[in-house]
Amino acid sequence: MVITIQVDEDRCCGAGTCVLRAPEVFDQNEIDGTVVLLDEHPADDRAAAVVEAADMCPAGAIKVRRE
Amino acid sequence: MTNTSEAASAADDVEAPRFPTSRRTGCPFDPPPEFADLRAVDPMTRMTYPYGQIGWLVTGFEMARAVLSDVRFSSLPEGKLSPVKVPGTELDLDALPPGMFVNMDPPQHTRYRRLLNGHFTVRRVRLMETQIRTIVDGVLDGMERAGSPVDLVEEFAKPIPTMVTTELLGLPLDQREQFQHDVSVLFSLSSSGEEMIESMNRLGGTLAALVAAKRAAPTDDLLGSLVSDTDLTDPELLGITFVLLVAGLETTTNMLALGVFALFQHPEQLAALRADPTLMAPAVDELLRFLSVVQVGPVRVAAEDFEFEGRQVTKGDVVTVSLPAANRDPDRFPDADALDFDRRDSGHIAFGRGVHQCMGHHLARLELEVAYSALLERFPELRLATPAEGVPTREMMVTYGVQRLEVAW
Repeated sequence: MVITIQVDEDRCCGAGTCVLRAPEVFDQNEIDGTVVLLDEHPADDRAAAVVEAADMCPAGAIKVRRE
Repeated sequence: MTNTSEAASAADDVEAPRFPTSRRTGCPFDPPPEFADLRAVDPMTRMTYPYGQIGWLVTGFEMARAVLSDVRFSSLPEGKLSPVKVPGTELDLDALPPGMFVNMDPPQHTRYRRLLNGHFTVRRVRLMETQIRTIVDGVLDGMERAGSPVDLVEEFAKPIPTMVTTELLGLPLDQREQFQHDVSVLFSLSSSGEEMIESMNRLGGTLAALVAAKRAAPTDDLLGSLVSDTDLTDPELLGITFVLLVAGLETTTNMLALGVFALFQHPEQLAALRADPTLMAPAVDELLRFLSVVQVGPVRVAAEDFEFEGRQVTKGDVVTVSLPAANRDPDRFPDADALDFDRRDSGHIAFGRGVHQCMGHHLARLELEVAYSALLERFPELRLATPAEGVPTREMMVTYGVQRLEVAW
């Protein structure tokens, strides 16, 4: 199974919730706090954390595809 | 979802309920019981606003998330109604400074948020931990000097967020008690119009002078860096500083004091926390969910006619979301009325949801973690000094909490 993550920097409100959930996958731009995707295809054992990060993103800026 | 539109139209035939504000005697941590009754029937129901207008009330978790994430529900001040009666005169909206981004929609809101977010990232907030610890230790020293018993609200819950926020923003420390007082007046539902205007004017005057001073001699705090590094105008800076100050004080103060009261009233949870300090982070999230101190609002106004979750929403409809009700929704949180540090679920919406979700949530969590930890460590025998039934609560305030909390050790 391959996990693919898409982030929408325009929608992102810079809450940083994803950074707390999955710090190996998401980071924040230091200037405006918006999301920086560190790993577009994280390993399977990160699946639960990235799904949670997407669900908790206040702006709905993270999409996770599993195929 | 099949029955909701029927429920909504049936509700139109009887008088829509008003916003519940009375908590049950002996249940200081539970939202008014009517919220659960309303939620069980319909998580987004018609509600009668104080002057007879009919709008909406959202009590279900998923519905609350959906409303707060949907930009068709606007945050602009025009047409907004308070779900509860606010005494005194209405503030003159045209007289408010620009830059008060809590009352904006994207893209205007996005511009301000982007200029500020960099100061509230996970990384930046972690860098503040030592500074917060120093502030908290100093406050606890003061408590020890005052000697048992003390009022935890005055000696602990008020000074910590006031000092953290004024240091972060770069406001003069010697005026922090005045800031604290004025913000309290603005958050009270029982302040008179004159009191509110007086506090608003005094705060505005002080902050405007401060912006001017930073313009003349830039500093390296948040306000100083906004002055130096952005093209924000002085009135915008005034509005932004006002929002950040207000946001940083009342909520954290009330979480601190009410949270300690909740720990006293749940001794098994307190014992678990004392036995395992690594439980502190999940405990803070569970306290945030369980207490959800923002008890009035957020409020949105429908910007257009549209169908929403099976309901017909009309342009101008006012929608009030109850965060305490949403965070006690049993469909989302099993045994939702229990305080349970083993829940390990930080999916609550105590900080709101959507683009207006609290920008300072990492800072708030850190303040709460550091402050609760240090308090429990410093006073292993800390206990309530008065009967729990007599602890005065803050029902007539936007932010719920306790007015006083006498503690002994």
